[in-house]
Amino acid sequence: MSNKPYRLSRGGTHIDRTKKVQFSFDGKSLTGFAGDTLASAVMANGQKLFGRSFKYHRPRGLVGLGSEEMNALIGVGEGVRHEPNLRATQVEVFDGLHAVSQNRWPSLAFDIGAINSKFARFLPGGFYYKTFMWPQSFWKHIYEPIIRKAAGLGRAADGRDPDSYEHVHLHCDVMVIGGGLAGLTAAKAAAALGAKVVLADENPTLGGIGDLTAGSIDGACVIDHARAIGAELLAAENVHVMTRSTVVGHFHHNYLMIFERVGDHDPALLADGAPRHRLWKVRAKQVILATGAIERPIAFANNDRPGIMLASAASAMVERYGVAPGVNGIVFTNNDNAYLTALSLKKAGINVRVVDSRSRSDGTLVERAKSEGIEVSMGSVISAVEGNLGVTAVKIAAYRKGQGRVITERKVACDFVAMSGGFNPALHIWCHNAGKIKFDDALQSFRPDRHADGMIAVGAANGNMDVSGTIAEAVAAGETAAKAVLPKAKFSKFKAPDVKEPTRAPLESLWFAPATGNYNEGNKHFIDFQNDVTAADLELAQREGYESVEHTKRYTTFGMATDQGKTSNLNGLGVLAEATGKSIPEIGVTTFRPPYTPFSFGSIAGVMTNKLFLPIRRTSVYQWHVDKGATFEPIGQWRRTYTYTAAGEDKQGSITREILAVRHKVGLLDASTLGKIEIKGPDAAEFLDRMYTNMFSTLKVGKCRYGLMMNELGFLTDDGVTVRLADDHFLMHTTSGGADRIAAWLEEWLQTEWTHYKVFVTPVTEQWAQFAIAGPRARNVLAKLDPDFDISHEAFPHMSFKEGKLGGYPVRVYRISFSGEQSYEVATPSNMGRGLWNAIIEAGTELGIEAYGTEALHVLRAEKGFIVIGDETDGTTTPIDVGMDGLVSKKKTDFIGKRSLEQSYLKGPNRKQLVGLLTEEPTDVLPDGAYAVRVVKDKPPMEMIGQVTSSYHSPTLERSIAMALIENGRERMGETLSFPLEGGKVMRAKIVDPVFYDKEGARQNV
Amino acid sequence: MSELFIESPLAHRELARDLSIDLREIKDRGMIDMRGLTSDKKFMAAAKKVLGVDLPKTPRTSSSWGDVKCLWLSIDQWLVLCAKSKVEELIRTLRTELAGVHSLVVDVSDMRAVMRLEGESVREVLLKGSSLDLLSDDYKPGTVRRMRFAEIAALLHIVEDNVFDIYVFRSYADYTWEFLLVTARESSKVRLFGDQRS
Amino acid sequence: MLMVHCPVCGAEGDETDFHGGGQAHVRRPATHDPATVSDHDQRDYLFIRHNAKGLHFERWRCDRGCGKWFHAARDTVTMEFKAFYGITELPPRALMDAATGEWATYFRDRLKADTAS
Repeated sequence: MSNKPYRLSRGGTHIDRTKKVQFSFDGKSLTGFAGDTLASAVMANGQKLFGRSFKYHRPRGLVGLGSEEMNALIGVGEGVRHEPNLRATQVEVFDGLHAVSQNRWPSLAFDIGAINSKFARFLPGGFYYKTFMWPQSFWKHIYEPIIRKAAGLGRAADGRDPDSYEHVHLHCDVMVIGGGLAGLTAAKAAAALGAKVVLADENPTLGGIGDLTAGSIDGACVIDHARAIGAELLAAENVHVMTRSTVVGHFHHNYLMIFERVGDHDPALLADGAPRHRLWKVRAKQVILATGAIERPIAFANNDRPGIMLASAASAMVERYGVAPGVNGIVFTNNDNAYLTALSLKKAGINVRVVDSRSRSDGTLVERAKSEGIEVSMGSVISAVEGNLGVTAVKIAAYRKGQGRVITERKVACDFVAMSGGFNPALHIWCHNAGKIKFDDALQSFRPDRHADGMIAVGAANGNMDVSGTIAEAVAAGETAAKAVLPKAKFSKFKAPDVKEPTRAPLESLWFAPATGNYNEGNKHFIDFQNDVTAADLELAQREGYESVEHTKRYTTFGMATDQGKTSNLNGLGVLAEATGKSIPEIGVTTFRPPYTPFSFGSIAGVMTNKLFLPIRRTSVYQWHVDKGATFEPIGQWRRTYTYTAAGEDKQGSITREILAVRHKVGLLDASTLGKIEIKGPDAAEFLDRMYTNMFSTLKVGKCRYGLMMNELGFLTDDGVTVRLADDHFLMHTTSGGADRIAAWLEEWLQTEWTHYKVFVTPVTEQWAQFAIAGPRARNVLAKLDPDFDISHEAFPHMSFKEGKLGGYPVRVYRISFSGEQSYEVATPSNMGRGLWNAIIEAGTELGIEAYGTEALHVLRAEKGFIVIGDETDGTTTPIDVGMDGLVSKKKTDFIGKRSLEQSYLKGPNRKQLVGLLTEEPTDVLPDGAYAVRVVKDKPPMEMIGQVTSSYHSPTLERSIAMALIENGRERMGETLSFPLEGGKVMRAKIVDPVFYDKEGARQNV
Repeated sequence: MSELFIESPLAHRELARDLSIDLREIKDRGMIDMRGLTSDKKFMAAAKKVLGVDLPKTPRTSSSWGDVKCLWLSIDQWLVLCAKSKVEELIRTLRTELAGVHSLVVDVSDMRAVMRLEGESVREVLLKGSSLDLLSDDYKPGTVRRMRFAEIAALLHIVEDNVFDIYVFRSYADYTWEFLLVTARESSKVRLFGDQRS
Repeated sequence: MLMVHCPVCGAEGDETDFHGGGQAHVRRPATHDPATVSDHDQRDYLFIRHNAKGLHFERWRCDRGCGKWFHAARDTVTMEFKAFYGITELPPRALMDAATGEWATYFRDRLKADTAS
């Protein structure tokens, strides 16, 4: 590393020379000033090498000015706070900042991976597709791990991220993207008309590149004029200004995503608990795109050597940070603007000469450079670069547009090159949501054309490169946008300010600077620096037939790196145009996709981590479950108790205990999650007849009936018990997972199909805590709770309903059973749920009551052959398939799904039908989902004829039981099927009736 | 029988601290869900007779008479708020008056948890979970709005300027409370629009 | 993220506050005469949908607002909503006239049938 003093003694508008900061880069302690970026601070210490390239591991230095930087990708922070792949040009230094270079081993200057560079001729475009094709198994275990290790960016942090992140929503009339002269002017104009304006800029300060722009506005330099507007906007009530905030994406109807770096630049903020990043979701009525333009590199031989940077970046180093990019530089350009860089460098005392590919220019800046004694070589290009870790010299060759080879050249010593191939309007965000663009001959670039959303581009983003034009355009855009939102607003009488700026001669496109020798002799003209794609790769893709630009992009990966082709896109199109003899518009463009710059996963997650990762629903008895050692099972967003495991017990043990308690004594289940819907109106009964497969209009008041629901396809979608509270009033129970879906389903049919029905539907699931008291002693428990209603079997038989008080609590009691035992489902208002639950436990203790969970519930119902929607059905299962033909009404002319059951494909033979299974070996428990096969073979494929839908060890029957959907299953009663399992074992099971226990249903009816 | 044990949805949560707003649970609020047709004069008249005030017909508004508040939920649905002790009687009277009128009146007092948010930055806190334009003039006292908040359904009622009630289904109370504790931290306070000069 | 407007209650919001319900104006044959629905008609009802490039008509529900269903006319290329209208209504006449392809045929037949009845 060189120790030359690169910090100039004067200058640097962004830095505060009185505030030194101490930071480290690759373990070495360095000093910078407050206001430095990592890029400027490292450069000031004489270091030009920032990283190694993706594929060839070529040494790379800084190229860009800001977020377009593609080489200097740095890992920042230590340990769990490490973040890879940050652009050094955007990282603000602070005391204690820890930064490391990436993609190098063992060190930046000596990198073993650079051997890829020596084999570069074997790593052409598309090499993945060509080289690593065979044998297939090598890909996963050999090629991919090695390639991933060798070609990669930074490493992710180990461990949990200690910082916080959040999202914020915001609405505005006008969203201005970019806080340069154009954006500030437009924002001011829109705000003056009364619009609510949000302005976002990715930099820490406003003003854009005003400080690097020649000219004056009403006697003030451009940056002072811009900053004055910025100050006005900060003070304005109707403007919200965001800095360090990158608009990363634009989506339908002017929905924008903004990534704000809140605390990255200041560890004290993070220590105080501020979020590190915020993701803003902004809905704007109008958008003004003022994102400026990005300078193009020039494709010349070995244009990626450290020390070769964009002219705008060189200017920024000098003007903003007082850092010299070197002592002896060359400005290589095809336009007038780079002469401003030459003048800047000269003024800072840096030796500079200009190489200009054009044969002539009479622009003001060119004349000024010449008059200040800067040596200008017109009609020249750089044909070669010497040096590896840095530039030592370049060769300058005579050039004429259209000339493909080098005839004469001379060598000139230098230690940096500032290049400018023209400017591309930054229209990525314009394109995110299908904005149209058009090619502009003067710019030799694309500029915005049409956009279906309300979006207007201004200034350099619109290809308008001069100050006076930008101001006029920005004022008009700001007012137009405001007026679109506030039709009564009046346009101001625009008075153009007095602008003095240089005249500029036209640029001349230079897509490829001819080189000494051939491509493969060490010359690489880089187009996409980040993905190591060269001009030769693009031409090769053309020769190999990847003619469409979209194919070329995917084959070579050009434009597909994290910079999304900011600097490479147009140069690539230029090379393709020249290679094919087509124009650039004929070549076409590839798609710019969000995000504009990469942003953190933390910001995407926001606060939705840890306890907030998912909304979790709790019943009123949740804490009791936790206290009793519950293991929870997710049912939708609910957490239901799977089983309550006591000390010294395993889960199988507790499940068995719970099941036997229900069969022999009494159990208590928290069934609060069941969906509950009140349905009322003169047409309620007829409506239910439409919704259920079976009849509900015949149900008597005070009685319950089990109902099946299909969708229009004829497939089962929900089931549950509905009670008739009054002639015109029902309460429907749905499955726990179906509560919201079924309520919406009922509403949909009422609103869209049977609109004349007078029916109201009100979901009341959460009003009620609901518990099942099940088992032969269930009534004894009720009796102990002092019911104010008759609980005798005669007065309150199975499938009936009572309202009253139990233990003093107001209750609705349904005598329904999902276990096959005598069973009461007791509902009380939720806030009393815990109280009633405690009262039931207390009353039931001497009767041996046990709380049971969902697994016991499932075994109990499987013993009875009761189906569970989603277990025995898979979305293609009809009521006939599960043997419930009896619940499909023949009398009703129409109900949801009825007609579909008649369709040929559902009536055909070989449907899978629900059966019970008993394994030959009673201790064998079939795995859930195990397949029955027609013939067992040594290895798959085997013809499958059905699958296990539920399978358990039944403590009641002291053996395993299962249910399955089997092709023509009901005709196969008594047949034994084979279930080949993983590992070669085959279980055999006999087809039986799915009701394993108490076939007559006597136990629930006592 | 011993005294009834009644527990609000957020009874297990401690007082919130270090927030940029005041946050607390409102317990014992009586809530009645009412369905009926505004075009049905008998329904509207009966409701007014019992509640003392017209059910609001304008979307997203509320009406009140004494301690009874009627929140608009849909073109045929309202949430009537009252003291919990009054619910039973109010429902009985409503059902009596609405006999023979197409309507549905249900006690839903235990169905939702109610949280009160109070303070200058209430809107800014809510914007971390809601995509509504809460800074606009549409959201003035009296406004009622169903919305998606964080990842769940919620009901917003602007009681007074900078005093907001949020209603969520009871089972989501703990999740919502946690979300507010995290997003309303003083250290993550957001300022929107206005003078930003520091 | 589309911005949707509910014509029933006037609520406006992100599409995530609404629920998309697929193609509009699908007729359920069994409601009208369950006895005469052919297999072919039932198949069309269940499975056959338009795939319009440009003007399209669809169903939405004001999921986080009034809970009501409504219709929308949307350009599938620009994503612009051209109109929101009631769930039992046909679109504004100008949009029926502007419809192309299968939609043009549908509205022509529908209007003819409505006039006849």
